[in-house]
Amino acid sequence: MTVTTLHQQTSTHFMKSRLSADNLTLKHGKVSIIEHLTVSLPEGKVTAIVGPNGCGKSTLLNGLSRVHSPSTGAVLLDGKDIHSLPSKEVARRLALLPQDTLAPDGITIEELIRFGRHPHQSLLKQWAMDDQEAIQYALHAADLIGLKDRLLDTLSGGQRQRAWIAMSIAQETPLLLLDEPTSALDLGHQIEVFELIRDLSRQGKTLAMVVHDLPSACRYSDHIIAMKKGEIITQGSPKDVMTKELVRELYGVECDLIPDPMTGSPILINMKRVRN
Amino acid sequence: MINQSLSITHPADTVSAPSGHYLLSLGRHMTILIEKHAIIRNIGLLILLSCACIATLAIGTMPISPKDVIAVLLGHGDAMSQFIVQDLRLPRLLAALFTGAAFSLAGCLMQTMARNRLATPGIIGIDNAAMAFAVSSVVGMGISLAPSAMALAGAATATALAFGLAGGSGTRGYRFIVAGIGIGAIAGAVTQLLLSQVSIDVANSAYPWTVGSLSARDPFMVNLLGAGIALCLIACLLFSTQFALMPFSDQVITGLGANIRHIRILALVLCVTLTGLAVAVAGPVGLVALAGPEIARVLARYRGIPLISSALTGALVMVLADLFGRTILSPIELPVGIVTAVVGGPYLIWILIRRTSRTSL
Amino acid sequence: MISWFQTPPSQRPLFRVFVSALLVLALCCFCSLLLGAGGLSPQASFQTLLGNGSSDDQFTVFHLRTTRTLVGVFVGLTLGIAGAMMQSVARNPLAEPGLLGVSAGSSFAVALTLVLGASTATLTVGVAQFGALLGCLCVLGVARMQGQQNDPIRLVLAGAALSSLLFAITSLILLFDQRAADEIRFWVTGSVAGRDIQTLLSVLPSMLMAALCILYVAKPLASLALGERVAIGLGHKPKRIRAVVIVAVALLVGGATAIAGPVAFIGLVVPFAARALVGPDIRRTLWLCLPLGPIIVIAADVVSRLVAQPAEMPLGVLTAIIGAPVLLLIVRSRRMPTL
Repeated sequence: MTVTTLHQQTSTHFMKSRLSADNLTLKHGKVSIIEHLTVSLPEGKVTAIVGPNGCGKSTLLNGLSRVHSPSTGAVLLDGKDIHSLPSKEVARRLALLPQDTLAPDGITIEELIRFGRHPHQSLLKQWAMDDQEAIQYALHAADLIGLKDRLLDTLSGGQRQRAWIAMSIAQETPLLLLDEPTSALDLGHQIEVFELIRDLSRQGKTLAMVVHDLPSACRYSDHIIAMKKGEIITQGSPKDVMTKELVRELYGVECDLIPDPMTGSPILINMKRVRN
Repeated sequence: MINQSLSITHPADTVSAPSGHYLLSLGRHMTILIEKHAIIRNIGLLILLSCACIATLAIGTMPISPKDVIAVLLGHGDAMSQFIVQDLRLPRLLAALFTGAAFSLAGCLMQTMARNRLATPGIIGIDNAAMAFAVSSVVGMGISLAPSAMALAGAATATALAFGLAGGSGTRGYRFIVAGIGIGAIAGAVTQLLLSQVSIDVANSAYPWTVGSLSARDPFMVNLLGAGIALCLIACLLFSTQFALMPFSDQVITGLGANIRHIRILALVLCVTLTGLAVAVAGPVGLVALAGPEIARVLARYRGIPLISSALTGALVMVLADLFGRTILSPIELPVGIVTAVVGGPYLIWILIRRTSRTSL
Repeated sequence: MISWFQTPPSQRPLFRVFVSALLVLALCCFCSLLLGAGGLSPQASFQTLLGNGSSDDQFTVFHLRTTRTLVGVFVGLTLGIAGAMMQSVARNPLAEPGLLGVSAGSSFAVALTLVLGASTATLTVGVAQFGALLGCLCVLGVARMQGQQNDPIRLVLAGAALSSLLFAITSLILLFDQRAADEIRFWVTGSVAGRDIQTLLSVLPSMLMAALCILYVAKPLASLALGERVAIGLGHKPKRIRAVVIVAVALLVGGATAIAGPVAFIGLVVPFAARALVGPDIRRTLWLCLPLGPIIVIAADVVSRLVAQPAEMPLGVLTAIIGAPVLLLIVRSRRMPTL
């Protein structure tokens, strides 16, 4: 309880933001996953959305990226209702990397990345200089130059995930939403993807990602949104937000937090499951 | 004339086409990408198809040499061969070409949309409904419309029912597909009912409509189908970049700024139009819709969605199947639907029992 | 009564539901004896049942309608049970002998023997059962190979494809034989009218075998519903269970098809209704399928006699009309996998 009241003040701070949700309600069939939620993503920063399974993190991300239509409220992109904007126009400003990444058979890395240019192309403008440059850049940023002609299904999990991120990079959007970009990756590949995300943020992009691992969320994000049962219980910078009380409230886990000796970001130790 | 503005660019210091493509620049702001492989593939298929067509026109109870066939097609040739080729064989060839292309194109679209190579318009009941209507027309039942028109009406009714009952297309068109299977089962039962109520002679006259045949087709429907295919092919080309997104998940498609609902509905409309028209001409020859796209995919090395190639392979399969059916047991003529079933059947069984490979389609 | 609806299906008293279903079945059979397309009024039929009818009436009621009712009971019983078994082993609510091409395999085999010189009257049940077995193997083989990605739609598509293929080949065979074509077009519609009691008796031994099979697998099937690995962990042998089920289904469907022709959708509707009444446990569902199958077939048969008087609407058409909406209901009630 104390956590909630303490951080309600910080969340009311005005933040400069291009993407926000206003009084958003999202339903699966008749079940409300998220009710009357208001949130905005701070510009130029990496936002991590954390919370226990089934708390509505992915649903929120889908709602913010217009994949899931709201029952009430609206998602605002640059101040306008995202559903009122032309879909291609939105896709030039906002990219989404979903969890379920199903690709056509027999597609190469370069071909996959080329699909990222779809919102910039039209029937009579199928290829231009900017397309070529964007793809070169994406290949470079995701360190895939040497692999560009490989088939997607012959790659390792980490390489494949980088290829999907490269596709989103090629979309050249100022905003990028990622749904569990590191799930099912081993430690090395996780770090690889997180470092790529941080690089993108340094170039001025606004990113939001759903993450399960709390220490990584703290380490690689500038802003944390903690969710439980479809509600935001607190948000703010990792150092302010990440407390023993929060971990207990989110996951029912008792733990101690110590700062990482090198980076200062919190590390969880001595974890015990408790019953709320 | 065009040479001035049209240039095929190769690696240069400015824009170069992505690997495996030709870049067609028409002026400054119009650029079109064409896949090299698709060009070679489709030209090859066209050549094969032309050979098959000439063979079809040449072979028959009155053989005509290929040279004479070409002569007739170019407008000369003696009266006799002109009559045989132009009035007897050409209409049937056109019917085969158009129906094959239509079935196959429709199959390719639906398979891609459902991400399942078994999902073809015929298997989900459109053929069955068209068959039930056509048979009811032949059998009488107080209706005396042309069976072709009835088949078209049947296909349209089945689609409308399936769409209405399923409440839209559903995820990947699944609900629509299952609704279609249900309606197809009812239509199949109704056909059996109709056939059991009449004398064997009437049942025999309805027979071509239950298996699919190309003999003595309604020329008006053939022309209508030809026009339909032309329009649908243009639509496919116009929306090819959108259709190319269909294999991705819904979230990716939306994320890339395309409207999934519109793409799916457009694909369904094209499928149904093509299948309806084709069934109205030839009756249910559903296996072409299964085999045509499959061959096209193999030729395209499983890259992209080979819509044009599917149409060409479908036409090729149909022309060859009809040629085979006409000649193999001559003078008995096997309906084309039977030939495709016998040839395509083992292949279908193979798809069914084969272990699923890495390709999910 | 209200409290009964509030109880979850899996906790309702099976015995009471079963007995009420038996009562409904008795009522249906009674109606089936009384009502019909012939000139015989229900009152006259009733008098005949009491022993006061003319010899013609007695023939109609005791011979024609009784046989027909018995055949209906048999067909409903076998197809309902077969459907429940298939759905359980394929772990797929859409698995149904008619939809999956088992009936088609069976009728294909029958068509083949007709062309080779048999006639529907002397048809051996074994042929139909063998055809059913082949169809079953073919289509459940697909279900097995899907592994974890067991997608209900995929199985149904495979069944539809198999059915359409077998239909085309049957057409080809019939093209060469007018006599067979003439004979089969009546049989292939699926009907319980005008069948012979002798045929019914000749099927009974194989039904006994099927019943033994079912008794053997009922319990392991319930654990198989939890997944293959769990079943192995509980000490069952999934492969053997599946093989036994396939044999049982083939015996049942083949027997029903030999008598009544392909009747679609019974195997879908009956287990669906049974699950709605007593929950998903196969041991409970199977019990309820026993009376529910005959109820649905006989009710459909009575309706088919009445709707198109003086002609009759074949049973197969009517069951398809009942079954298709249930199919849609099942699909709409589940979240379909996006694959």
